[in-house]
Amino acid sequence: MVELIIFVLMGAVALGGAVAVVKARNPVYGAMGLMAALFALAVFYVVHLAHFVAAVQVIVYAGAVITLFLFVIMFVGVDRAERLTEKLAVQRPAALAVLAGVLALAGVLVITGQFDWVITVGEGAEVRGTVEEIGANLISVEEGGVQRASRWLLPFEATSLLLIVAAVGAVSLAFYRPRRKEEPDDETAGADRPGRPS
Amino acid sequence: MIDVSYLSAAPEMMLVLGAVAVLMVDVFAKPPPRVHGWITAAAYLAAGASIVLQWQRLGAGGGGLSFGGALVLDPWAAAVRAVLLVVAVLGTLCAWEMLAGLGRRMAEGVSLVLVATAGFMLMGASVDLVMVFIALEIGSIALYVLAGIVRSSPAGDEAAMKYFLLGAFASAIFIYGGALAYAGTGATNLFDIERFLNDYLVARPAVILIGMALLVVGMGFKVTAAPFHSWAPDVYQGAPAGVVGFMAAAAKVGGFAALVHILFIGFARYQGAWSDGLAVIAALSVVLGTLLAIGQSDVRRMLAYSGVAHAGFLLTGMTAGAPAADGLLFYLATYSVMLVGAFAAVTAVSGPAGAGSSFDEYRGLGRRSPVAAAVLALTMIAMSGMPLTTGFIGKFQMFASAWDGGYEWLVIVGLAASVAAFFFYLRLVVLMYFRPGEENGRDPDAPLPLPVTIRWVLLFSAAVTLVFGIYPGPLLGLLTRV
Repeated sequence: MVELIIFVLMGAVALGGAVAVVKARNPVYGAMGLMAALFALAVFYVVHLAHFVAAVQVIVYAGAVITLFLFVIMFVGVDRAERLTEKLAVQRPAALAVLAGVLALAGVLVITGQFDWVITVGEGAEVRGTVEEIGANLISVEEGGVQRASRWLLPFEATSLLLIVAAVGAVSLAFYRPRRKEEPDDETAGADRPGRPS
Repeated sequence: MIDVSYLSAAPEMMLVLGAVAVLMVDVFAKPPPRVHGWITAAAYLAAGASIVLQWQRLGAGGGGLSFGGALVLDPWAAAVRAVLLVVAVLGTLCAWEMLAGLGRRMAEGVSLVLVATAGFMLMGASVDLVMVFIALEIGSIALYVLAGIVRSSPAGDEAAMKYFLLGAFASAIFIYGGALAYAGTGATNLFDIERFLNDYLVARPAVILIGMALLVVGMGFKVTAAPFHSWAPDVYQGAPAGVVGFMAAAAKVGGFAALVHILFIGFARYQGAWSDGLAVIAALSVVLGTLLAIGQSDVRRMLAYSGVAHAGFLLTGMTAGAPAADGLLFYLATYSVMLVGAFAAVTAVSGPAGAGSSFDEYRGLGRRSPVAAAVLALTMIAMSGMPLTTGFIGKFQMFASAWDGGYEWLVIVGLAASVAAFFFYLRLVVLMYFRPGEENGRDPDAPLPLPVTIRWVLLFSAAVTLVFGIYPGPLLGLLTRV
């Protein structure tokens, strides 16, 4: 019962935050909405007994990433007006049509009782893979933390390589200076390399 | 329990070390391009040596899983690495002029090539969907950047943007497929998925089948199979010439390498389902690729559509399942070398960083640059599947596998498309040798400058295409001979 109440409350917060991200005209409000949604998500992790991930969620996403967003927003300037008029005429009706179709399909499936896509194993065996089970398996560090670390060791290391690639790529694209006449790239700015991260 | 065998990831480690060395040396010393060249060559040599060591380990009965089941060392993974290494060496040579022209950004460009190679190698060795995805992203992101690295041409920016958006879309589809496969089987490791599917009778496999289909679609984007090919012509046309061959070949090899593991190991149980799916995609790719290639007026777009058709031929062979692996490796190895060779000739014609190359630029190429024209003609003939070239043997392998697998209709479609494909492949050959150069403008017979790096690439790919076309034995049974 407590879980249900928490779920409803936090679900509302998450949805409200998500809507705010899309609807808010002021980007700072949007960032705040995102923070609310991420925080609500962290509460869900706690409900699923993944305390560590919840803490990480709050520290990394609600904390660091949102701060970074706000920093960039402030840096670029909050007062810049965005163009909100749609250019593609059919986009909204099409989106509404798709939404209506999905809702109708979901309604039909629920009403006719066809909504049983969950895998069953053998005959009369119990249902595998509840959301709780999946969450605990995938992200919790409880029980057998060392073994899990070795299992995900390589993906973890490779992710750092992924970040390096992204950083190197961003640097190499951003440090381009339009060439003047026949001078080689980037040599126009003088001897110092501007702001090369070390 | 920690089972870390560094040998099973050694080639990638060497390449990444090389990439880091290039970047760090650049930070501290600002060396001339030559130094980057030496470091890159050393990294390739070290990676090659580790592949040889892997092969010896396999020959001694070693190999198997490591890193908690994320990587496998099997003949397929080792052979794919060797193919990718060759592609990377040729691609680097081809792109060298373009990379050296980047000025201060050269180190980044070189390291991106190295890391992209490492990413696709990892992709061929991964047997965990999470690891496949990360490796795919490492390789792909590096390629997105390389497509737009020149920055001075709007076409390059457009290519990079298109490649990035559609590639990200494909990755999202792939990871969604992985999530559904996990939801259905409770595992991301392909061997665990295989075990689950063998041990249990799955009554309603809809989720698993949808997941599998999404995984195939995600990889279909990477290997430019129709109808997921729409990005390829624009990207090949707009990206800097030097890097396109590497980009096309590496992505194709990596994608097929991962697809072989995913389908042949993880979903072997559902071969009946995915064979039919692959057959449909293969037929579409072969027909669409061939028909659309005929109408092109740009060599790179033509090669992109021919790449779609070749993806179709590879998928044709894949329908037969595991017995086709040998033929697949042969096709991938020889086609990627042909592709890099063809794009080396394109690089010579349109300049190291140029975008686009209309057929008109190739008029009279036979007199302007005999070597480039000869190799381009040879690769065209090989791609069309003429005997005494690797193209014939590769196609024959694919058709034979599909025929044995019971897909006779697919073989007939493929044969018909191959005949139609002669038209556009030979059109380029005719244009180069029997049509005079442009009358207006510059001297039609002015010799085309051919940088020495590109000359090597051209000669090597011609040699591979001919030698293995006449004597395919050493390469053909590689996997089974370990």
